[in-house]
Parts: sequence; structure tokens; C-alpha cells
Amino acid sequence: MSGPNPSNCSAGGVQLLPVAAAAKAREPINVLIVGVGGQGVIMVSKALASLAQSKGFEVKQSEVHGMAKRGGTVFSHVRFGPQVWSPTIPKGEADILVALEWAEGLRWLPFLKPDSGIFICDTKRIVPPFACLDRHPGALLRYSRETPAEVKAHVVEGYAIDATRIAEELGNVRAANVVLIGALSMSLDFSAEDWEQALSEFVPKKTIAVNLEAFRLGRRWVERARTAPPDAQPAETPAPAYRPYKVRLEITPEWCKSCDICVKLCPERCLRLNAERTVELTDAAKCTGCRLCEWLCPDFAIRVHLDAAEAPGVVAAAEGIRP
Amino acid sequence: MIVDSASAFDVRTYLRQEMMPHFLCPGCGHGIALRALLWAVYELGLDKDKLAVVSGIGCAGRLSAYIDANTFHVTHGRPLAYATGLALARPDLHVVVITGDGDCLAIGGNHLIHACRRNLKLTCLMLNNEVYGMTGGQVSPTTSETRLTTTTPLGNSEPNFDACTLAAAAGASFVGREVTHHVPKLKQLIRAGLEHPGFAFIEVLSDCTEIFGRKNELGSSAEMVLRQKSELRPSAYRDTVDSPFRSSDLPTGILTKTERPEYGAAYRTAAAAQRARLAASTDQNKGRT
Amino acid sequence: MNVGQPASAPKLPWRLISGNHACALGAVAAGCRFFAGYPITPSSEIAERLSRLLPLVDGVFVQMEDEIASIAAVIGASMGGVKALTATSGPGFSLKQENIGYAAGAEIPCVIVNVMRGGPSTGMPTRPAQGEIMQSRWGSHGDYPIIVLAPASVREIHDENMRAFDLAEPLRTPVVILYDQDIAQRTETVELGDANGVARAQRKWASGPPAAYQPYATGEDGIPAMSRPGAGYRVHTTGLNHAENGFPTQSPQAVERNLGRLLTKFERHRDLIDSWQTLGCDDAEVLIVAIGISARAALRALEICRARSLRAGLFRPITLWPFPENALREAASQANAVLVPEMNAGQLSLEVGRILGGKRVEAIHRFNGEPITPAEIAQRVETLAREMNQ
Repeated sequence: MSGPNPSNCSAGGVQLLPVAAAAKAREPINVLIVGVGGQGVIMVSKALASLAQSKGFEVKQSEVHGMAKRGGTVFSHVRFGPQVWSPTIPKGEADILVALEWAEGLRWLPFLKPDSGIFICDTKRIVPPFACLDRHPGALLRYSRETPAEVKAHVVEGYAIDATRIAEELGNVRAANVVLIGALSMSLDFSAEDWEQALSEFVPKKTIAVNLEAFRLGRRWVERARTAPPDAQPAETPAPAYRPYKVRLEITPEWCKSCDICVKLCPERCLRLNAERTVELTDAAKCTGCRLCEWLCPDFAIRVHLDAAEAPGVVAAAEGIRP
Repeated sequence: MIVDSASAFDVRTYLRQEMMPHFLCPGCGHGIALRALLWAVYELGLDKDKLAVVSGIGCAGRLSAYIDANTFHVTHGRPLAYATGLALARPDLHVVVITGDGDCLAIGGNHLIHACRRNLKLTCLMLNNEVYGMTGGQVSPTTSETRLTTTTPLGNSEPNFDACTLAAAAGASFVGREVTHHVPKLKQLIRAGLEHPGFAFIEVLSDCTEIFGRKNELGSSAEMVLRQKSELRPSAYRDTVDSPFRSSDLPTGILTKTERPEYGAAYRTAAAAQRARLAASTDQNKGRT
Repeated sequence: MNVGQPASAPKLPWRLISGNHACALGAVAAGCRFFAGYPITPSSEIAERLSRLLPLVDGVFVQMEDEIASIAAVIGASMGGVKALTATSGPGFSLKQENIGYAAGAEIPCVIVNVMRGGPSTGMPTRPAQGEIMQSRWGSHGDYPIIVLAPASVREIHDENMRAFDLAEPLRTPVVILYDQDIAQRTETVELGDANGVARAQRKWASGPPAAYQPYATGEDGIPAMSRPGAGYRVHTTGLNHAENGFPTQSPQAVERNLGRLLTKFERHRDLIDSWQTLGCDDAEVLIVAIGISARAALRALEICRARSLRAGLFRPITLWPFPENALREAASQANAVLVPEMNAGQLSLEVGRILGGKRVEAIHRFNGEPITPAEIAQRVETLAREMNQ
């Protein structure tokens, strides 16, 4: 399931583009751009702001990137129109929400205009460390479990694009934000040429070609989502399923030389040397399968196996999640 | 099942298991380096039958015996020279050299600089533990100043070699350095070296825990491994830290990578051209008679 | 001036070439496809010649950074299954010794040419000597078997180099070719046979299932089959004392078994290895034993002696090591005295004296760079004969 439900598209597929609509209403266009540090949120907003200004609009752009360390949350408000007073977009007033990361997109959903807001979101998931309930591989995450279909059911018009994968296939994962600009451009009636001109000024010279290609792919994706029948909608990566693993340590005691490296470097402190001075696992539940012991054993005495668990783990069961 | 390379790679399938456990001391970093090498070999899918490992004398030199490949444990300091002959004679083989700091920089120093200059396709893994371990812990060309060894009872007063700078100055087209603590990074570096179409020199900072560590009171094996982390800054951060830090740490990762003609291929191309020239002139002469 | 007619018309085109040139041609004809060397007088012409010849036959020539690297690269190439040669002279031969021991111990075939010049140390690079008779046998540390061939003419250098490969490969051993500067750089008219199409002795390669293969296990012949890298055997080769499985061992039984086999491995193949020339030994009162340029002088000395009715004979070992002991004993059976002219301070005479215990063994020692002359040899034969008859 991908792209907007055709019934959600206004005027039977003939879009009334917000720029024209807003110019008539003398109301500013509000575009909220969100993501996490390092993804290029600011670059998207700057490109849009500069393009709008070059077309004679008054522009106000406001961003918060004080905590914008790599992986931290970043957002940018872009407002443009005949006249703009406030630099920030009030809740429920955004015409378009562009999210470069899935959970960030959901976090900012309440800012979208409930009756006409357009949701454009990368399905890329960047899981912050504090969203990990435990450190076992495949462990349950305190992270959005909503599927794109579920989210789109809540918005008037929504596009869940696997922009990161599209950029990866282009050979430059950093062009994911430009794929989303391409998608955004389909909802604003600036010409594609003007967008490309603006982009060329904002991306590094060496990457102009790949970024323009990313822009066109973003446009094409939305075009297909709008026009293709339901069975030919562009592909979209489903959120990863919760897959619990059981960690199993295979120890070859005859090879262990009691050097103690694994015991001392185990982050979970769940290894020890037994009475025979060979390594053993003290608490299987603690072991996350991080492999540090396997890698740092100079004697190849430890092998970490991550076996698919038959039953959900403790946390998963408490959360009512089935594998 | 998880199918990433770390899960799929079982180092034992690249070892001569009948030879295990290996003879290195408890906590010796060389075993960790060997894992990283074999992991890189696994990731590249190199055919064990076409893999030749040539090693010299010393603790590092002994590693070849444990690898399930064509392995040659040769004379002290000479593995690069043996490997040069093997790789030139058999361009179909993938030749890897495992050597130590004494083997490579002292007795074999001449071979190293000329291998760097010649740029024959070889991957040279120099395991640097700052000491001649096998012979009981004598000072080596890489022993840090003031360190105690059995032949520097007053503390080493010779400056030590920076092997990577030496290799780069001698013209090596690929130079890299990594510590054993960062196994996946070390694997990535060795992998890049194996893929490099020329001579690749990789220095692995390894720990001699039993002899060097004990003599210099560097703590347990685990403490020595952790010291690699605390005392060495990843090269990614080098440009961001203040200059006083730079003199005390060693850059890691790929330090030099340039494209130069590979010696073996260049030789074979020139030889084929010469054969073609002679064949053409012979044909011409035939035409006349 | 009338130059007369040649004794017989040549069957093949004659060529006027030096010993070193002949050495290079012999190597290529024997199937040598790898040469690594380092410039040194008076052997450099071998390297120069092969640097031109080897590329023409899809072989590899490489000039290494030093003498040690050269022998190491040669052994490395041979480990890869390619017939390989290096050439050097005294100082370089000394530097190569450790790795020659490796080749002997690990049983890697290779051929080492040592052109003998004055010694010790740098000595006299452009003058002949025969000072490495003992070094060529005992130069590396420990006990090991080795074959040393001592050709005495340009033609023989060519042929013995081919034979060197025919011994090194099937017997899995280093073979040294020992000749002096005089023959190396002298040009002679030679008639070289056409080696094309002549089957050369080959290395015994491992066959059968890899699981059952033991790299140093042997059959009756005492020579282990070698595994070619890439053929699926994946074995270990080491200079440490090893067991049949190729891995290092310190088990006294295993070392004794494998090293014992190694040290006696030539015994069953002496017919193939031994080679010598005798002249006039049937009735020889005085037997001359000589190699190389000294043997060339001895040939002329024989003519002088016979003209003076002195019954002199010549025994010339072509395979110098292992020394053809039995052949020498037989050749010396009629002789009352033995004369060993050699360009050193006494090496060949030691071995001859050991073999012919009890017989009078005299020597002419020369180490000033001037070859021993036929007249000097004839003179000593005459003196010896007179003394023996008194």
C-alpha cells in the first residue's frame, strides 16, 4: 500500500496547488521540514526559501538545530507569501510536512492542517539509542510501530517514500533529501526548471548531476503514486518486523588460554573464567550477542550464534507483540 | 537468521583446526589480527586454493601454519622476497605476507622498501607488537622510547620507526594502520588492502602481553587492549582535535592510496609486446625469402 | 697462410659464446622460466642475457634488491611450480647460504650458479679462483644434502645447466653450478644441441585425494611428491624441522625419520647424479684430480706427460657433490700418487685425501688469480713419479 488513496486527492486528480491557492487567499504557505541531524533538513529548507524569495514572495524561515548533533532532532519552518508576519508555523497550520525520517514525520503530524495538509515522508528509520528497550539484536524498540498505510489513513494526502533507498541506488545516499524535494516540488507550482536552478546552487558542485537525478526520481515517484492504479503503485519498504533472537555462545574450552580479555571487555559483564580457568557465560539473558568477545578472543575460542527465537522474548510478550 | 557477514563468518572454517589451539601466548594480539585477515578473505570470497600466505620468522611468522591455504613459513626477514618470486611466477595466486616488526623493519627492511617501490600486487600485513617476542623480548625497531626490553635494561634510547611513514616514503601505493581492538575496522582495512591492485602495506598495532606488557607493567591483556582505545584516536577525529594531541597519537585507517602501474602486469605487458614485435619481424623476413 | 681443414665438419651451426652466455641458453633450454639476481662480477652476463631471453618465452626476469632477495624470490617462484635460477659469485654466494639451506630442508628445487672469483671477502672480482668447493657443499648451517656440478668448458656449462634442472626438479633439491671466472667469461666455439622437443625431467607432483596427501611422505624413491599451489592441497611449507605432514615438530622420532630420509635421499639416485670424466686412468701411475680451469690445464699436462713417457691420468669430477667416491677409488686403483691442482689453499685435495686414505695425495695450491699452467702440473707429475719410483 503506497501513495495517496486516489479518493483523497482533491478535484479528481487535478491538484489545486497551494502556491496559487495561497496567493489568492493572501495567506502564507507553510512548509515544515523535519528530520534528524546530518540528513540535510536545513539544506531542503534553504533551497525552498531561496526559490520562494526569488519568485517575489516574502519568506520567513526558522530552524532549530541547537541540538542538531548527528542523530538529534532537527526541524525547520519555512513560510512564504505576499506577506508573512510570524516565522513559526502554529500547530495544525502546516500546508506540507516534509519528513526525512519516519518517526520524526509522525512526531510532527499534529502540525499538519487537518483538512488539507500534505504529508511527505521518507520511510527511513533512524533509531536513537534511547529508543532501545534492551540491547539484544532484534529487540523490541520504543519506536513507531505504525505502518505507512496506517499513517496515511490519518492524512488527506500522504506519500511514504523510501527516499534513502532511491538515493542509495543512485550511488549517493546523501541525496535522499533531494528525492524528497522532488516529491515536494510536485505539490508547489514552481517550475521544475526553477527548482533545478535553485538546487544547483545549494549542493556541492561535484554532486549536481546526482542530485538533479534524485530530484527527478522524487517527482516521478509522486507522479506515479498519483496516477498509477492501486496495483502499480511505486514500491515502499515496510517497517521491519519485530524479530526476536536468542543468543547462543559456542565456547571451545580447549582453545581458551584464560587471557581474560573477553571477561573484562564484555559490556554486559556476563562472562567469567570458571574453576578450570576457561571462559563461560554466567547469564544468558544478559548477553546481547554484540560479538566483542568473539572478535577479541585471540584464540578463536568463542563463537556467537544469533538464533531466531521460537517464542517472543520477555519484553515482547509484555508488550503483546508476536514474532 | 541474521545473514550479515559477522554472523555468517565462522573463522574456524579458515583455520587448520587440527593445529589448534595455536602456540601464541595468552592475550597475544596476533590471533585477533589473524581473525580480521580471515574475515576479510571470507568477505571477498577468495578461493583458499588460490590464496598463498608467506610469513617470516617470529611470533607473527608462525600464524601462517594455522591458515587453511597454501602457506609458506620462510626465513627471517625474507617473506616479501619469497612472495615477490611467488607472485611474479604465479599471477593467478593471491599472495599475502604476514610479518612482524623485527622481521619486516630490521632484518627485512631492505625488502620492504623495495617492495613498496616495485608495486607488485602483494598484501603485506605487519603485526607490530614493539618487541622480538619469540626470542624473549629484545628491543625492536618499533619499540617506543624509554620502554624496557631484555636488551634495553635502562630503557630504550633509540627512536622508533613509524612503519607507515616509511612505507609511504618508499612509494607504497597503499598504506594503512589499525589496532587489534577495532576488529571490524581492521577487517575493512585489510579488505581494502587485499582489493588494492598493487603493493598494500598494513601495519597492525598488536599487543605482546606476556613479555612486553609484563616487562613494562602495562597491566593485564584486557587493559592492554583497552589502552589501544584510550591512547589512539581514530583518524576521523584527528582534524577536529587540538594540535597538542596530534603528536601523541598515530593516525589509523587508510593513510595512502594512489594508483600506480602494477609491476607484474606491466612486466607481462612489455614482454608480450616484445614477443609480438619479434614475431612480426620474423614474418617479414619470411616474406622476403 | 694455410689454416688447413677442420678435423670434422660441424653438424650444427657453431657459435662463439662465453660460458655465462651458454649458461643462460642452457637454462632456457632446460625450461627455466624464472630468474632473479643481483649484479655481481663475474656472473652479471647471465642476468643480462636472461633479461632478454626470458620475456621471449613467457618467463620472468627480475633484478632484486640484494643477493638474499634473489635466492628468496627464486625459491618463492619454485614454490609456485616454476623452474627457477639465480646466478652469483663468491660474496653473493655467501649471502645466499641461509636460503640455500631452506631450499634443501624444505626440498624446493632451484638452481644456483656460482661463478668463482678470488676471495676471501671482495677478493679479486675479475680473476678466477676455485675457493668455494667446500662452501658449496657445507655453506649453510646444519646438515643437508645438495648437488654441486662443476663444468669445465663453455659447452659443458650449457649442458650441465640443463642437467642441473633435470636433477633439481625430480629430486627436489637445490643444485649449485660451480665454475670459475676463467670459463665464465671465456668465449669458445661450441656446437649446441637442439633441446627443443627433448623431454626434460619433471617434478613429481602430488596426485590423489587431498585429504590423504602428506607433503613429506615418500615411497621407495625417498622423494616426496610436491603440491602445486592452486591444485587443492593447501599444505604448509616451513624451514623448521617438520614431520611428514609438513608441520613443525620437535618429536625426536619424527625429526629423525624425516631428516634421516632427507640426508640419505640421494643414495638411491646416484646413477642419475654421479658424473665424472677419466682420461688415461687404466695405467696411470700418477692420477691428477681437478675441476674447472685447473682440469683444462691438466688435459694439456697429460699430453706433455705422455710425450715424456710419464703415465699420468686425469679424474675430473663433473658432479662435485655428492663426490663420486667409488669412481675416484676405481680410477686411482693403479696410481701410486695423486696430484690435485686447484685454485685455492687446499679444498678438493682434502676430499680426495679422505677418499683415498693411505695414498699419497699432493696438491698444487694457487690463490693469486693466475690459473695453474699445464707445464707446472706436468712438472709436479714428473717429480712425483720420480719420487715414487725411488
